[in-house]
Amino acid sequence: MTWLLEPLQFEFFQRALLGVGIIALLCGVIGAFVVLRGLSYIGDAMAHAVFPGIVAAFLLKIDYYLGGVAAAIITALGIGWVSRKSGLKQDAAIGTVFVGMFALGIVLLSRTKSYSVDLAHLLVGDPLGIAPEDILATTIFTVIILAALFAIRKELVLIAFDEIEARVSGLPVQRLNAFLMILIALTVVLAIQMVGTVLVVSMLVTASSTARMLTSRLSQMILVGSLVGASGGMLGLYASYHFDAPAGAMIVLVNTAIFVLVLVFRHKR
Amino acid sequence: MPDATRFPHDHSSRLVDVQNLGVNYGETTALEGANFHLCPREFVAIIGPNGAGKSTLLKAMLGLVPYKGTVTFSSHLQPKPTQQIAYVPQARALDWAFPVTVWDVVMMARVKKIGWLKSATQADREIVKNALERSDLMDLRHRPIGDLSGGQRQRALLARMIARQAALLFLDEPFNGVDSTTQDRILELLEAERITGKGILMVTHDLEAAKNWCSHILLVNQTVIASGKPERVYTPENIAKTFSRGVL
Repeated sequence: MTWLLEPLQFEFFQRALLGVGIIALLCGVIGAFVVLRGLSYIGDAMAHAVFPGIVAAFLLKIDYYLGGVAAAIITALGIGWVSRKSGLKQDAAIGTVFVGMFALGIVLLSRTKSYSVDLAHLLVGDPLGIAPEDILATTIFTVIILAALFAIRKELVLIAFDEIEARVSGLPVQRLNAFLMILIALTVVLAIQMVGTVLVVSMLVTASSTARMLTSRLSQMILVGSLVGASGGMLGLYASYHFDAPAGAMIVLVNTAIFVLVLVFRHKR
Repeated sequence: MPDATRFPHDHSSRLVDVQNLGVNYGETTALEGANFHLCPREFVAIIGPNGAGKSTLLKAMLGLVPYKGTVTFSSHLQPKPTQQIAYVPQARALDWAFPVTVWDVVMMARVKKIGWLKSATQADREIVKNALERSDLMDLRHRPIGDLSGGQRQRALLARMIARQAALLFLDEPFNGVDSTTQDRILELLEAERITGKGILMVTHDLEAAKNWCSHILLVNQTVIASGKPERVYTPENIAKTFSRGVL
Protein backbone atom coordinates (compact mmCIF):
# COMPACT_ATOMS: atom_id res chain seq x y z
CA MET A 1 0.00 0.00 0.00
CA THR A 2 2.79 2.43 0.80
CA TRP A 3 4.19 1.41 -2.59
CA LEU A 4 1.08 3.04 -4.06
CA LEU A 5 0.62 5.94 -1.64
CA GLU A 6 4.12 7.15 -1.00
CA PRO A 7 4.77 8.77 -4.40
CA LEU A 8 1.35 10.40 -4.32
CA GLN A 9 2.46 12.91 -1.70
CA PHE A 10 4.41 14.68 -4.44
CA GLU A 11 2.46 17.01 -6.65
CA PHE A 12 4.76 16.36 -9.62
CA PHE A 13 3.91 12.67 -9.36
CA GLN A 14 0.16 13.34 -9.28
CA ARG A 15 0.52 15.55 -12.35
CA ALA A 16 2.55 12.87 -14.13
CA LEU A 17 -0.15 10.26 -13.41
CA LEU A 18 -2.82 12.58 -14.74
CA GLY A 19 -0.81 13.54 -17.83
CA VAL A 20 0.09 9.95 -18.70
CA GLY A 21 -3.53 8.90 -18.15
CA ILE A 22 -4.87 11.55 -20.51
CA ILE A 23 -2.29 10.82 -23.22
CA ALA A 24 -2.85 7.06 -22.93
CA LEU A 25 -6.58 7.58 -23.36
CA LEU A 26 -5.99 9.66 -26.49
CA CYS A 27 -3.44 7.19 -27.85
CA GLY A 28 -5.85 4.30 -27.27
CA VAL A 29 -8.34 5.96 -29.60
CA ILE A 30 -6.03 7.21 -32.34
CA GLY A 31 -3.75 4.18 -31.94
CA ALA A 32 -6.63 1.94 -33.07
CA PHE A 33 -6.58 3.70 -36.43
CA VAL A 34 -2.77 3.66 -36.57
CA VAL A 35 -2.71 -0.10 -35.96
CA LEU A 36 -5.60 -0.94 -38.30
CA ARG A 37 -4.17 1.20 -41.11
CA GLY A 38 -0.60 -0.03 -40.61
CA LEU A 39 0.69 3.50 -39.93
CA SER A 40 3.07 2.82 -37.04
CA TYR A 41 6.14 3.44 -39.18
CA ILE A 42 4.69 6.80 -40.20
CA GLY A 43 3.93 7.59 -36.56
CA ASP A 44 7.58 6.94 -35.77
CA ALA A 45 8.69 9.13 -38.67
CA MET A 46 6.45 11.95 -37.45
CA ALA A 47 8.03 11.83 -34.03
CA HIS A 48 11.41 12.40 -35.64
CA ALA A 49 10.21 14.99 -38.10
CA VAL A 50 8.47 17.25 -35.56
CA PHE A 51 11.67 17.31 -33.50
CA PRO A 52 13.29 20.41 -35.11
CA GLY A 53 9.96 22.26 -34.71
CA ILE A 54 9.89 21.55 -31.02
CA VAL A 55 13.57 22.48 -30.64
CA ALA A 56 13.04 25.70 -32.61
CA ALA A 57 10.14 26.65 -30.35
CA PHE A 58 12.38 25.96 -27.37
CA LEU A 59 15.24 28.08 -28.76
CA LEU A 60 13.02 30.94 -29.87
CA LYS A 61 11.23 30.78 -26.53
CA ILE A 62 7.83 30.39 -28.16
CA ASP A 63 5.23 28.00 -26.79
CA TYR A 64 6.05 24.26 -27.01
CA TYR A 65 2.61 23.53 -28.43
CA LEU A 66 2.81 26.26 -31.06
CA GLY A 67 6.11 24.93 -32.40
CA GLY A 68 4.91 21.35 -32.10
CA VAL A 69 1.59 21.95 -33.85
CA ALA A 70 3.25 23.83 -36.71
CA ALA A 71 5.81 21.06 -37.07
CA ALA A 72 3.06 18.43 -36.89
CA ILE A 73 1.01 19.95 -39.70
CA ILE A 74 4.05 20.52 -41.93
CA THR A 75 5.19 16.95 -41.32
CA ALA A 76 1.78 15.37 -41.87
CA LEU A 77 1.29 17.09 -45.20
CA GLY A 78 4.99 16.84 -46.08
CA ILE A 79 5.11 13.04 -45.88
CA GLY A 80 2.59 12.76 -48.71
CA TRP A 81 4.22 15.56 -50.68
CA VAL A 82 7.74 14.16 -50.50
CA SER A 83 6.74 10.69 -51.67
CA ARG A 84 4.64 12.13 -54.53
CA LYS A 85 7.32 14.59 -55.63
CA SER A 86 10.27 12.23 -55.37
CA GLY A 87 8.54 9.21 -56.88
CA LEU A 88 10.20 7.18 -54.14
CA LYS A 89 8.29 4.64 -52.13
CA GLN A 90 6.99 6.15 -48.93
CA ASP A 91 9.43 4.29 -46.67
CA ALA A 92 12.48 5.59 -48.57
CA ALA A 93 11.07 9.12 -48.61
CA ILE A 94 10.53 8.90 -44.85
CA GLY A 95 13.93 7.37 -44.18
CA THR A 96 15.69 10.10 -46.13
CA VAL A 97 13.88 13.32 -45.32
CA PHE A 98 12.50 12.86 -41.85
CA VAL A 99 15.52 11.35 -40.21
CA GLY A 100 17.36 14.31 -41.75
CA MET A 101 14.98 16.64 -39.95
CA PHE A 102 15.67 14.78 -36.73
CA ALA A 103 19.40 15.38 -37.22
CA LEU A 104 18.67 19.07 -37.82
CA GLY A 105 16.80 19.17 -34.51
CA ILE A 106 19.78 17.68 -32.68
CA VAL A 107 22.20 20.20 -34.27
CA LEU A 108 19.87 23.07 -33.38
CA LEU A 109 19.61 21.84 -29.83
CA SER A 110 23.40 21.55 -29.49
CA ARG A 111 23.54 25.38 -29.60
CA THR A 112 22.03 25.54 -26.11
CA LYS A 113 23.99 25.51 -22.86
CA SER A 114 21.88 22.81 -21.23
CA TYR A 115 22.20 20.66 -24.34
CA SER A 116 22.58 17.19 -22.85
CA VAL A 117 19.77 17.51 -20.31
CA ASP A 118 17.37 18.99 -22.86
CA LEU A 119 18.27 16.38 -25.44
CA ALA A 120 17.68 13.58 -22.96
CA HIS A 121 14.26 14.97 -22.03
CA LEU A 122 13.20 15.33 -25.64
CA LEU A 123 14.52 11.92 -26.63
CA VAL A 124 13.20 9.79 -23.80
CA GLY A 125 10.57 12.04 -22.23
CA ASP A 126 10.14 13.64 -18.85
CA PRO A 127 6.65 12.96 -17.49
CA LEU A 128 7.73 13.88 -13.95
CA GLY A 129 8.64 17.37 -15.15
CA ILE A 130 5.19 18.24 -16.46
CA ALA A 131 3.97 21.67 -15.38
CA PRO A 132 0.35 22.40 -14.39
CA GLU A 133 -0.12 24.51 -17.53
CA ASP A 134 1.08 21.54 -19.63
CA ILE A 135 -1.70 19.43 -18.12
CA LEU A 136 -4.21 22.08 -19.10
CA ALA A 137 -2.87 22.38 -22.66
CA THR A 138 -2.69 18.58 -23.04
CA THR A 139 -6.30 18.26 -21.89
CA ILE A 140 -7.54 20.91 -24.31
CA PHE A 141 -5.71 19.36 -27.27
CA THR A 142 -6.89 15.88 -26.29
CA VAL A 143 -10.52 17.02 -26.23
CA ILE A 144 -10.12 18.70 -29.64
CA ILE A 145 -8.45 15.65 -31.24
CA LEU A 146 -11.01 13.22 -29.77
CA ALA A 147 -13.90 15.42 -30.90
CA ALA A 148 -12.46 15.57 -34.43
CA LEU A 149 -12.03 11.78 -34.52
CA PHE A 150 -15.54 11.26 -33.19
CA ALA A 151 -16.99 13.59 -35.83
CA ILE A 152 -15.55 11.62 -38.78
CA ARG A 153 -15.45 8.16 -37.23
CA LYS A 154 -17.73 6.41 -39.71
CA GLU A 155 -15.78 7.81 -42.66
CA LEU A 156 -12.43 6.83 -41.08
CA VAL A 157 -13.63 3.30 -40.35
CA LEU A 158 -14.83 2.87 -43.93
CA ILE A 159 -11.48 4.09 -45.32
CA ALA A 160 -9.60 1.82 -42.93
CA PHE A 161 -11.60 -1.27 -43.94
CA ASP A 162 -12.00 -0.61 -47.66
CA GLU A 163 -10.39 2.50 -49.10
CA ILE A 164 -11.56 1.64 -52.64
CA GLU A 165 -15.20 1.52 -51.53
CA ALA A 166 -14.72 4.87 -49.80
CA ARG A 167 -13.34 6.40 -53.01
CA VAL A 168 -16.01 4.84 -55.23
CA SER A 169 -18.80 6.02 -52.97
CA GLY A 170 -17.44 9.57 -53.29
CA LEU A 171 -15.70 10.35 -50.01
CA PRO A 172 -12.75 12.79 -50.23
CA VAL A 173 -10.34 10.04 -49.18
CA GLN A 174 -7.14 11.98 -49.77
CA ARG A 175 -8.27 14.91 -47.65
CA LEU A 176 -9.54 12.66 -44.88
CA ASN A 177 -6.23 10.81 -44.86
CA ALA A 178 -4.33 14.10 -44.61
CA PHE A 179 -6.60 15.15 -41.76
CA LEU A 180 -5.99 11.85 -39.93
CA MET A 181 -2.25 12.40 -40.41
CA ILE A 182 -2.51 15.81 -38.77
CA LEU A 183 -4.41 14.32 -35.81
CA ILE A 184 -1.75 11.60 -35.44
CA ALA A 185 1.01 14.21 -35.63
CA LEU A 186 -0.69 16.34 -32.95
CA THR A 187 -0.99 13.28 -30.74
CA VAL A 188 2.70 12.58 -31.30
CA VAL A 189 3.58 16.13 -30.18
CA LEU A 190 1.57 15.66 -26.97
CA ALA A 191 3.02 12.22 -26.27
CA ILE A 192 6.62 13.35 -26.81
CA GLN A 193 6.41 15.21 -23.49
CA MET A 194 5.69 11.94 -21.72
CA VAL A 195 7.91 9.38 -23.38
CA GLY A 196 10.12 11.35 -25.78
CA THR A 197 10.73 11.20 -29.51
CA VAL A 198 12.39 7.82 -29.62
CA LEU A 199 9.74 5.99 -27.63
CA VAL A 200 6.60 7.77 -28.77
CA VAL A 201 5.60 5.18 -31.34
CA SER A 202 5.05 2.80 -28.43
CA MET A 203 2.32 5.08 -27.04
CA LEU A 204 0.62 4.95 -30.42
CA VAL A 205 0.76 1.25 -31.11
CA THR A 206 1.69 -0.96 -28.14
CA ALA A 207 -1.52 -0.75 -26.11
CA SER A 208 -3.64 -0.73 -29.26
CA SER A 209 -1.87 -3.83 -30.54
CA THR A 210 -2.56 -5.53 -27.19
CA ALA A 211 -6.22 -4.53 -27.53
CA ARG A 212 -6.28 -5.78 -31.12
CA MET A 213 -5.43 -9.27 -29.92
CA LEU A 214 -8.13 -9.24 -27.25
CA THR A 215 -11.12 -7.81 -29.11
CA SER A 216 -13.14 -8.23 -32.27
CA ARG A 217 -15.04 -4.94 -32.24
CA LEU A 218 -13.55 -1.53 -32.92
CA SER A 219 -15.32 0.10 -29.96
CA GLN A 220 -13.96 -2.58 -27.62
CA MET A 221 -10.52 -2.26 -29.15
CA ILE A 222 -10.51 1.48 -28.44
CA LEU A 223 -11.78 1.02 -24.89
CA VAL A 224 -9.35 -1.78 -24.04
CA GLY A 225 -6.46 0.06 -25.73
CA SER A 226 -7.11 3.18 -23.66
CA LEU A 227 -7.47 1.27 -20.41
CA VAL A 228 -4.42 -0.93 -21.00
CA GLY A 229 -2.37 2.09 -22.06
CA ALA A 230 -3.44 4.16 -19.06
CA SER A 231 -2.83 1.39 -16.52
CA GLY A 232 0.48 0.47 -18.14
CA GLY A 233 1.50 4.13 -18.13
CA MET A 234 0.63 4.65 -14.47
CA LEU A 235 2.28 1.39 -13.45
CA GLY A 236 5.35 2.50 -15.38
CA LEU A 237 5.46 5.76 -13.44
CA TYR A 238 5.34 3.90 -10.11
CA ALA A 239 8.05 1.52 -11.31
CA SER A 240 10.14 4.48 -12.36
CA TYR A 241 9.74 6.08 -8.92
CA HIS A 242 10.59 2.96 -6.95
CA PHE A 243 13.42 1.68 -9.14
CA ASP A 244 14.75 5.15 -9.89
CA ALA A 245 14.63 4.48 -13.64
CA PRO A 246 13.76 6.92 -16.49
CA ALA A 247 9.97 7.33 -16.45
CA GLY A 248 9.38 7.40 -20.22
CA ALA A 249 11.33 4.20 -20.76
CA MET A 250 9.60 2.51 -17.79
CA ILE A 251 6.15 3.32 -19.22
CA VAL A 252 7.09 1.80 -22.57
CA LEU A 253 8.64 -1.22 -20.88
CA VAL A 254 5.52 -1.98 -18.81
CA ASN A 255 3.27 -1.62 -21.88
CA THR A 256 5.55 -3.91 -23.86
CA ALA A 257 5.51 -6.45 -21.01
CA ILE A 258 1.68 -6.41 -21.01
CA PHE A 259 1.72 -6.95 -24.77
CA VAL A 260 4.05 -9.93 -24.49
CA LEU A 261 2.00 -11.45 -21.64
CA VAL A 262 -1.21 -11.17 -23.67
CA LEU A 263 0.53 -12.57 -26.72
CA VAL A 264 1.69 -15.61 -24.78
CA PHE A 265 -1.39 -16.29 -22.66
CA ARG A 266 -4.34 -15.30 -24.81
CA HIS A 267 -6.76 -18.01 -25.82
CA LYS A 268 -6.67 -18.67 -29.50
CA ARG A 269 -9.89 -17.27 -30.95
CA MET B 1 -13.28 -3.13 -83.71
CA PRO B 2 -16.32 -2.66 -85.97
CA ASP B 3 -19.93 -2.69 -84.89
CA ALA B 4 -19.76 -6.35 -83.96
CA THR B 5 -18.55 -5.26 -80.51
CA ARG B 6 -21.76 -3.32 -79.87
CA PHE B 7 -24.83 -4.62 -78.19
CA PRO B 8 -27.93 -3.83 -80.22
CA HIS B 9 -29.30 -0.94 -78.24
CA ASP B 10 -30.26 2.64 -78.69
CA HIS B 11 -27.63 5.18 -77.53
CA SER B 12 -29.87 7.18 -75.23
CA SER B 13 -30.63 4.22 -72.98
CA ARG B 14 -27.01 3.42 -72.24
CA LEU B 15 -25.88 3.55 -68.64
CA VAL B 16 -22.27 3.73 -69.70
CA ASP B 17 -20.44 3.85 -73.00
CA VAL B 18 -16.78 2.87 -73.22
CA GLN B 19 -14.83 4.07 -76.26
CA ASN B 20 -11.31 3.12 -77.16
CA LEU B 21 -10.32 2.52 -73.55
CA GLY B 22 -6.65 1.90 -72.82
CA VAL B 23 -4.73 1.39 -69.57
CA ASN B 24 -0.97 1.13 -69.11
CA TYR B 25 0.80 0.08 -65.94
CA GLY B 26 4.20 1.68 -66.52
CA GLU B 27 5.57 0.03 -69.66
CA THR B 28 2.99 -2.76 -69.62
CA THR B 29 -0.19 -2.44 -71.64
CA ALA B 30 -3.05 -3.88 -69.62
CA LEU B 31 -5.83 -2.84 -71.96
CA GLU B 32 -6.04 -1.19 -75.37
CA GLY B 33 -8.82 -0.03 -77.68
CA ALA B 34 -11.65 -1.54 -75.63
CA ASN B 35 -15.18 -0.64 -76.80
CA PHE B 36 -18.49 -1.71 -75.33
CA HIS B 37 -21.51 -0.34 -73.52
CA LEU B 38 -23.93 -1.33 -70.81
CA CYS B 39 -27.68 -0.71 -70.71
CA PRO B 40 -30.26 -1.11 -67.97
CA ARG B 41 -31.37 -4.73 -67.47
CA GLU B 42 -28.15 -6.08 -68.92
CA PHE B 43 -26.15 -8.61 -66.96
CA VAL B 44 -22.75 -8.80 -68.63
CA ALA B 45 -20.06 -11.35 -67.82
CA ILE B 46 -16.47 -10.26 -68.47
CA ILE B 47 -14.50 -13.37 -69.36
CA GLY B 48 -10.84 -13.84 -70.17
CA PRO B 49 -7.62 -15.46 -68.95
CA ASN B 50 -5.64 -14.26 -65.93
CA GLY B 51 -3.92 -10.95 -66.59
CA ALA B 52 -6.27 -10.16 -69.49
CA GLY B 53 -7.22 -6.79 -68.00
CA LYS B 54 -10.69 -7.75 -66.72
CA SER B 55 -10.30 -6.16 -63.28
CA THR B 56 -8.44 -3.26 -64.88
CA LEU B 57 -11.45 -2.60 -67.09
CA LEU B 58 -13.69 -2.27 -64.03
CA LYS B 59 -11.14 -0.11 -62.20
CA ALA B 60 -10.72 2.24 -65.15
CA MET B 61 -14.48 2.72 -65.41
CA LEU B 62 -14.56 3.45 -61.67
CA GLY B 63 -11.85 6.06 -62.12
CA LEU B 64 -9.47 4.14 -59.86
CA VAL B 65 -6.70 3.87 -62.48
CA PRO B 66 -5.72 6.44 -65.13
CA TYR B 67 -6.89 5.57 -68.64
CA LYS B 68 -6.95 6.78 -72.24
CA GLY B 69 -10.16 6.91 -74.25
CA THR B 70 -13.59 7.86 -72.96
CA VAL B 71 -16.02 6.45 -70.43
CA THR B 72 -19.35 8.24 -70.81
CA PHE B 73 -22.06 7.73 -68.24
CA SER B 74 -25.75 8.35 -68.82
CA SER B 75 -26.77 11.91 -68.03
CA HIS B 76 -29.37 10.43 -65.66
CA LEU B 77 -26.58 9.33 -63.34
CA GLN B 78 -26.10 12.51 -61.34
CA PRO B 79 -24.39 14.27 -59.65
CA LYS B 80 -21.28 12.07 -59.82
CA PRO B 81 -21.81 9.01 -62.05
CA THR B 82 -19.19 6.83 -60.36
CA GLN B 83 -21.12 7.22 -57.10
CA GLN B 84 -23.93 5.38 -58.87
CA ILE B 85 -21.72 2.31 -59.13
CA ALA B 86 -21.65 -0.29 -56.39
CA TYR B 87 -18.36 -2.16 -56.60
CA VAL B 88 -17.79 -5.60 -55.13
CA PRO B 89 -14.03 -6.18 -54.98
CA GLN B 90 -12.38 -9.58 -54.84
CA ALA B 91 -13.02 -10.77 -51.30
CA ARG B 92 -9.37 -11.59 -50.76
CA ALA B 93 -8.50 -7.91 -51.27
CA LEU B 94 -10.07 -7.07 -47.91
CA ASP B 95 -8.82 -7.55 -44.34
CA TRP B 96 -11.32 -9.99 -42.84
CA ALA B 97 -9.70 -9.74 -39.42
CA PHE B 98 -10.85 -6.12 -39.27
CA PRO B 99 -12.79 -5.63 -36.01
CA VAL B 100 -16.30 -4.94 -37.35
CA THR B 101 -19.55 -6.92 -37.53
CA VAL B 102 -21.51 -8.01 -40.58
CA TRP B 103 -24.03 -5.26 -39.84
CA ASP B 104 -21.24 -2.65 -39.71
CA VAL B 105 -19.90 -3.71 -43.11
CA VAL B 106 -23.30 -3.45 -44.79
CA MET B 107 -23.95 -0.10 -43.09
CA MET B 108 -20.70 1.15 -44.69
CA ALA B 109 -22.65 1.32 -47.95
CA ARG B 110 -24.69 4.12 -46.41
CA VAL B 111 -21.81 6.29 -45.10
CA LYS B 112 -21.79 8.74 -47.99
CA LYS B 113 -25.60 8.99 -48.11
CA ILE B 114 -25.85 9.52 -44.34
CA GLY B 115 -23.55 12.51 -44.70
CA TRP B 116 -21.05 14.32 -42.53
CA LEU B 117 -21.58 14.44 -38.76
CA LYS B 118 -24.85 12.52 -38.99
CA SER B 119 -25.86 9.08 -37.79
CA ALA B 120 -27.81 6.42 -39.65
CA THR B 121 -31.54 7.07 -39.81
CA GLN B 122 -34.32 4.52 -39.45
CA ALA B 123 -34.50 4.45 -43.26
CA ASP B 124 -30.80 3.51 -43.50
CA ARG B 125 -31.32 0.75 -40.95
CA GLU B 126 -34.27 -0.61 -42.93
CA ILE B 127 -32.18 -0.65 -46.11
CA VAL B 128 -29.37 -2.52 -44.34
CA LYS B 129 -31.82 -4.97 -42.76
CA ASN B 130 -33.45 -5.66 -46.11
CA ALA B 131 -30.07 -6.23 -47.78
CA LEU B 132 -29.06 -8.65 -45.01
CA GLU B 133 -32.33 -10.54 -45.26
CA ARG B 134 -32.02 -10.91 -49.01
CA SER B 135 -28.48 -12.23 -48.54
CA ASP B 136 -29.57 -14.67 -45.79
CA LEU B 137 -27.25 -13.00 -43.27
CA MET B 138 -29.76 -11.52 -40.82
CA ASP B 139 -28.98 -14.18 -38.20
CA LEU B 140 -25.26 -13.48 -38.49
CA ARG B 141 -25.52 -9.70 -38.39
CA HIS B 142 -23.87 -9.29 -34.97
CA ARG B 143 -20.95 -11.61 -35.79
CA PRO B 144 -17.44 -10.26 -36.36
CA ILE B 145 -16.68 -10.60 -40.07
CA GLY B 146 -13.66 -12.73 -39.18
CA ASP B 147 -16.06 -15.52 -38.13
CA LEU B 148 -17.65 -15.80 -41.57
CA SER B 149 -16.99 -18.59 -44.07
CA GLY B 150 -15.88 -17.78 -47.62
CA GLY B 151 -19.42 -17.95 -48.97
CA GLN B 152 -20.80 -15.82 -46.13
CA ARG B 153 -18.11 -13.19 -46.73
CA GLN B 154 -19.08 -12.98 -50.35
CA ARG B 155 -22.74 -12.65 -49.39
CA ALA B 156 -21.84 -9.87 -46.93
CA LEU B 157 -20.22 -7.98 -49.80
CA LEU B 158 -23.33 -8.63 -51.90
CA ALA B 159 -25.48 -7.23 -49.09
CA ARG B 160 -23.28 -4.14 -48.96
CA MET B 161 -23.69 -3.79 -52.72
CA ILE B 162 -27.49 -4.01 -52.43
CA ALA B 163 -27.52 -1.43 -49.63
CA ARG B 164 -25.69 1.04 -51.88
CA GLN B 165 -28.83 1.18 -54.08
CA ALA B 166 -26.71 1.99 -57.13
CA ALA B 167 -27.77 1.94 -60.77
CA LEU B 168 -24.67 0.05 -61.87
CA LEU B 169 -23.22 -3.03 -60.20
CA PHE B 170 -19.60 -4.07 -60.79
CA LEU B 171 -18.42 -7.38 -59.37
CA ASP B 172 -14.91 -8.82 -59.48
CA GLU B 173 -14.92 -12.63 -59.30
CA PRO B 174 -17.77 -13.03 -56.80
CA PHE B 175 -17.63 -16.84 -57.10
CA ASN B 176 -14.07 -17.19 -55.77
CA GLY B 177 -14.02 -19.52 -52.78
CA VAL B 178 -17.79 -20.12 -52.67
CA ASP B 179 -19.67 -23.41 -53.10
CA SER B 180 -22.21 -24.00 -55.85
CA THR B 181 -25.20 -23.35 -53.57
CA THR B 182 -23.84 -19.90 -52.67
CA GLN B 183 -22.96 -19.27 -56.30
CA ASP B 184 -26.59 -19.94 -57.32
CA ARG B 185 -27.81 -17.73 -54.48
CA ILE B 186 -25.55 -14.89 -55.66
CA LEU B 187 -26.74 -15.30 -59.24
CA GLU B 188 -30.40 -15.24 -58.12
CA LEU B 189 -29.73 -12.02 -56.20
CA LEU B 190 -28.05 -10.43 -59.20
CA GLU B 191 -30.90 -11.50 -61.48
CA ALA B 192 -33.36 -9.91 -59.04
CA GLU B 193 -31.33 -6.69 -59.19
CA ARG B 194 -31.14 -6.86 -62.99
CA ILE B 195 -34.90 -7.00 -63.50
CA THR B 196 -35.32 -3.82 -61.47
CA GLY B 197 -33.44 -2.04 -64.28
CA LYS B 198 -29.83 -2.15 -63.13
CA GLY B 199 -26.84 -2.77 -65.34
CA ILE B 200 -24.41 -5.42 -64.09
CA LEU B 201 -20.78 -6.08 -65.04
CA MET B 202 -19.26 -9.20 -63.52
CA VAL B 203 -15.74 -10.54 -63.94
CA THR B 204 -15.83 -14.33 -63.75
CA HIS B 205 -13.97 -17.45 -64.82
CA ASP B 206 -17.14 -19.53 -64.90
CA LEU B 207 -18.10 -19.77 -68.59
CA GLU B 208 -20.98 -22.10 -67.82
CA ALA B 209 -22.63 -19.84 -65.22
CA ALA B 210 -22.13 -16.86 -67.52
CA LYS B 211 -23.90 -18.66 -70.35
CA ASN B 212 -26.82 -19.70 -68.15
CA TRP B 213 -27.38 -16.45 -66.28
CA CYS B 214 -25.93 -13.50 -68.14
CA SER B 215 -27.67 -11.56 -70.88
CA HIS B 216 -24.40 -10.67 -72.57
CA ILE B 217 -20.79 -11.82 -72.62
CA LEU B 218 -17.70 -9.67 -73.03
CA LEU B 219 -14.63 -11.69 -74.05
CA VAL B 220 -11.54 -9.77 -72.99
CA ASN B 221 -7.84 -10.27 -73.58
CA GLN B 222 -6.11 -6.89 -73.43
CA THR B 223 -8.96 -5.61 -75.57
CA VAL B 224 -12.58 -6.59 -76.19
CA ILE B 225 -12.36 -9.69 -78.42
CA ALA B 226 -16.12 -10.12 -78.82
CA SER B 227 -19.32 -9.07 -77.17
CA GLY B 228 -22.99 -9.89 -77.44
CA LYS B 229 -25.46 -12.61 -76.50
CA PRO B 230 -23.81 -15.77 -75.16
CA GLU B 231 -24.85 -18.02 -78.04
CA ARG B 232 -23.35 -15.56 -80.55
CA VAL B 233 -20.15 -14.89 -78.63
CA TYR B 234 -19.23 -18.41 -77.57
CA THR B 235 -17.76 -19.54 -80.87
CA PRO B 236 -14.66 -21.76 -80.95
CA GLU B 237 -12.72 -19.00 -82.75
CA ASN B 238 -13.59 -16.34 -80.19
CA ILE B 239 -12.78 -18.63 -77.27
CA ALA B 240 -9.47 -19.62 -78.86
CA LYS B 241 -8.62 -16.00 -79.54
CA THR B 242 -9.47 -14.97 -76.00
CA PHE B 243 -7.54 -17.68 -74.23
CA SER B 244 -4.41 -17.60 -76.39
CA ARG B 245 -1.54 -15.42 -75.24
CA GLY B 246 -0.35 -12.20 -76.81
CA VAL B 247 -3.41 -11.08 -78.74
CA LEU B 248 -2.15 -7.59 -79.46
